[in-house]
Amino acid sequence: MKKPLLFFALLALAAVPVHAYVNDALSFSHEAAIPYVKKGFSVRVDAWGGDLGVKEQQAVTAQLFKGNEYWFCLGTDVRGAVVTVNIYDSKGKLAEAESWQKGRFAGARVVPKKTGTYYAIITVVKSPQERTGWAVVYAYK
Amino acid sequence: MTKNIPLILAAVCLAGQAPVRAQEVPESVDLSKFPAANVEDVVVPVPSEIFVVLDKLGSPNWRGELRSSLGKNTGNRAQVALLLGTVIAEGFIAVEAEDPEKVQEIGREVLVLAEAINVRKAVIARSKSISEKAQSKDWKAVRKEFDGALQDVRGAMQELGDDELAQLVSIGGWLRGTEVLTSIVSKNYSPDGAELLFQPDLLSYFTEKLDGLKTTRLGKDPLVAQTGKTLSAIRPLIGKEDGTKISKGAVERINKLTGETVAAITSPKDS
Repeated sequence: MKKPLLFFALLALAAVPVHAYVNDALSFSHEAAIPYVKKGFSVRVDAWGGDLGVKEQQAVTAQLFKGNEYWFCLGTDVRGAVVTVNIYDSKGKLAEAESWQKGRFAGARVVPKKTGTYYAIITVVKSPQERTGWAVVYAYK
Repeated sequence: MTKNIPLILAAVCLAGQAPVRAQEVPESVDLSKFPAANVEDVVVPVPSEIFVVLDKLGSPNWRGELRSSLGKNTGNRAQVALLLGTVIAEGFIAVEAEDPEKVQEIGREVLVLAEAINVRKAVIARSKSISEKAQSKDWKAVRKEFDGALQDVRGAMQELGDDELAQLVSIGGWLRGTEVLTSIVSKNYSPDGAELLFQPDLLSYFTEKLDGLKTTRLGKDPLVAQTGKTLSAIRPLIGKEDGTKISKGAVERINKLTGETVAAITSPKDS
């Protein structure tokens, strides 16, 4: 279900319209990250993306480092969709310092207490479409 | 394909409305119920994610970590891919050292190596941008360009059906980044600095990728085989559980292992 965004981007460049939504979702995730760039965060070029049905969830794996602060920023191209992102540690415990949700955008901030593997859980809470494309980027400082 | 109007509207919406706390966030989840949460999907951190932590822990001598030579290109595709990874990692070190000449040299070398594996086109713009931004000492922008160069090179390789080579670029970068991390932590050991090495899933991810190559021609390349052995040797040194203290001895051992492998990549013996 989830595939590297790079792959989708390449397909989109090859003019395969079915994958255009992933590029759009990526644009929205970058849009969600703008306030943090202004606060000195660096947004990674690499990203995750895919599509989910309503109430479906996806976990993505991230290596995070104690001493950094991270924002995970999620976007979808589907107008009217509600998506969320929350961060859990390797034991499945909620690890985020804060999170927010605003329609097609969502964000979660984590200040890792330990260096290691963390999981960003993506949820499509509601959507007018059967499948909802999403993309998440992360920023660090 | 970007639709600018929705983006502008979205920006206006974001700017005009305060975000709200995500509702009913469970305090814990059963990760085993997320079958896709596997190492297949790890986004490989760039060296600067670690380097900024090292900067917070002390004042590393970044110039002292820079290599005088970026390495020799033998024309062997596996070696070039690994070398390209180490050179991009060197770019991140040069940014920390705030050395515009070195950054520009690295930007040019990225282009040369990219040409050797037929992905030059993908990085021409990045190389130019790296040079311009280094001249104006916009270090944050240069970091982003190196991050972008890494993704562009990998993307172009995947487009050409060279997924395995793309992985070698990432691994080369990780090896050089880890060599520098361990060098700095060894010189001024602290448990917090050593903890940055705790990257079990990332190591498993790289190891799985290399294991998958074992029966291929690429997997039989001596440098690739050495890289696989190095990763396997590092794995037990970083501990099993979150928070495991990584000793100074382990840090030094990892430094030696990564240093030897990077040396083999950058200064291969003529065959």
